[in-house]
Amino acid sequence: MITGFSKTFLYLFLVLVFAVWVMDGLVHDWGRLSGSGGNLVTFFKESLWPPNWSVIEPQAYPVCTAYPIIDFTCSTAWIGMVETIKIAFVSTVLGTIISLPIGLLATRNLNPKGVSYIARFILAAARSLPSIIWAIFFVILVGFGPLSGVLAMTIYTVGYLGKLQYESIEGMSSTPLEAASSMGLSKLETAIGVVIPESANNLISQTIFMFEYNIRHGTVIGIVGAGGIGYYINLYLKFLQYDKVIAYLIIIFAVVLLIDFLSIYARSFFTEESDVKRPSWWGVLLPADLVTKLRRNREE
Amino acid sequence: MMTSLTSHDRLGKYGAGPMSKDEGQLQDDCVVSLEGVVIGYDSNNPLLKVPDLTIKSGEIVAITGSSGVGKTTLLRTIAGLIRPISGTLRVCHSTLPSKPPRGSVGYIPQRLGLVRHASVRHNVMLGARAGHTNPLSLFPSSEAIEHTDYSIERMGLTDKANEPIRRLSGGQQRRVATARTLAQKPKLIMADEFLSELDEETLEKVLSEVTGYVRSSGAALIVVEHDFARAKSMADRLLLIDDGRVNPFLSETTAVEVKI
Repeated sequence: MITGFSKTFLYLFLVLVFAVWVMDGLVHDWGRLSGSGGNLVTFFKESLWPPNWSVIEPQAYPVCTAYPIIDFTCSTAWIGMVETIKIAFVSTVLGTIISLPIGLLATRNLNPKGVSYIARFILAAARSLPSIIWAIFFVILVGFGPLSGVLAMTIYTVGYLGKLQYESIEGMSSTPLEAASSMGLSKLETAIGVVIPESANNLISQTIFMFEYNIRHGTVIGIVGAGGIGYYINLYLKFLQYDKVIAYLIIIFAVVLLIDFLSIYARSFFTEESDVKRPSWWGVLLPADLVTKLRRNREE
Repeated sequence: MMTSLTSHDRLGKYGAGPMSKDEGQLQDDCVVSLEGVVIGYDSNNPLLKVPDLTIKSGEIVAITGSSGVGKTTLLRTIAGLIRPISGTLRVCHSTLPSKPPRGSVGYIPQRLGLVRHASVRHNVMLGARAGHTNPLSLFPSSEAIEHTDYSIERMGLTDKANEPIRRLSGGQQRRVATARTLAQKPKLIMADEFLSELDEETLEKVLSEVTGYVRSSGAALIVVEHDFARAKSMADRLLLIDDGRVNPFLSETTAVEVKI
């Protein structure tokens, strides 16, 4: 007899077999894999490594007026990264302001079905295109530069954050809503007085997550001309200067790691209980269960 | 020498104290009437047929019975949260499903329905808003603020007023829910096991505040209470829901009014 445990394994194995079968249909020539390792080594040795750190040196023009010790602030890497962070920040703020009312209207526990369907449709439409496609769209509408980046990321933030918001609001306990409804509080009063305070921690945590997400995605939208560090990556890709591209990628990796950590740290203030353990630097890099084990060992 | 006025003095002065005797009766009374009401979640499998019943202002009615017989479902139906399977249910001049006037009904659910991440004051203010502030007004009226302070004081929660609910004990949370309803000054209070988890002393205080309010203002109180002796001692009328555990000759769950 097959036990529940081995049944799970059987299903997983069948899914794997199905995936291999689909993959086989997609790939016509498996032989192409054989040379890939060598290609990677050649590409890495000849084009990628060592990274060209001139990207953190001040640009020749415009002339850098900063003190020599902070002249890296005149570099393309710094200017691009700061612009990406600015775009992410502004679009997170605008996106949150716009998404909250739509997210509230999209909840089924507060609104009639018709209203929630319309609000959900708007959110799904904003989310259906990735931010880079929105960026192409706005570059056509308003031209190159950070403005199109802000517009693109704002729309995507509305769609994505609105969904997170209505899901967390729908997950809240129904008794405060029932008490408010029996008292005769209006929908608006219930939203402001009950729903938002009750789910505030989740909403804040989601907004911080969205900021981090927007920084990660903001690095890409520059490739289509919507501002930020992606512009320089695209530029040097076209000139085949891969050593500079890898330098930008390393910088992005470091910044995203830093923002990840700050985001987890900031979000930990808004979790259910206040005595939550603050995350550590290594917590960002290692899997969660390993972090718990290490922490327990350290405490012992 | 100047003396500071307590909320009680101030409210006495304005004649708006929720529990002050001299404040007089509520202007309109709120009558609850049930005619041929059958309750439950599934029309093919009704939970209970309720006898025709009229609850008048100033009356305290306790619904009692073993756990799981449908006491809470009956209260939730009267509160308008569940539609009755059949029959007519009138609450404060409105026939369900149309809602009774804003602020006329105060409901203390079994799980209290407090906003856990907000302060005691915020929660009590929600009730006061429903009772004393226009729904379109952005800020609570001064009357609502005074009723909030007064109810918090009467429930002995003044030093906890700014604490979030999640940091309070079960008993304290129950007092907050009661304060929220009293600040609202409703014409009908519906309370579901609102005395559980309270120690003897607090229980006496909460009960006397609520019954005092009902007696002085002429509001009605419907309370679900599983403790038969306590239900009998506090109520004017007692509705017993029995699924055969009290009377083994019953063929189906029945609600009967018991003489006390």
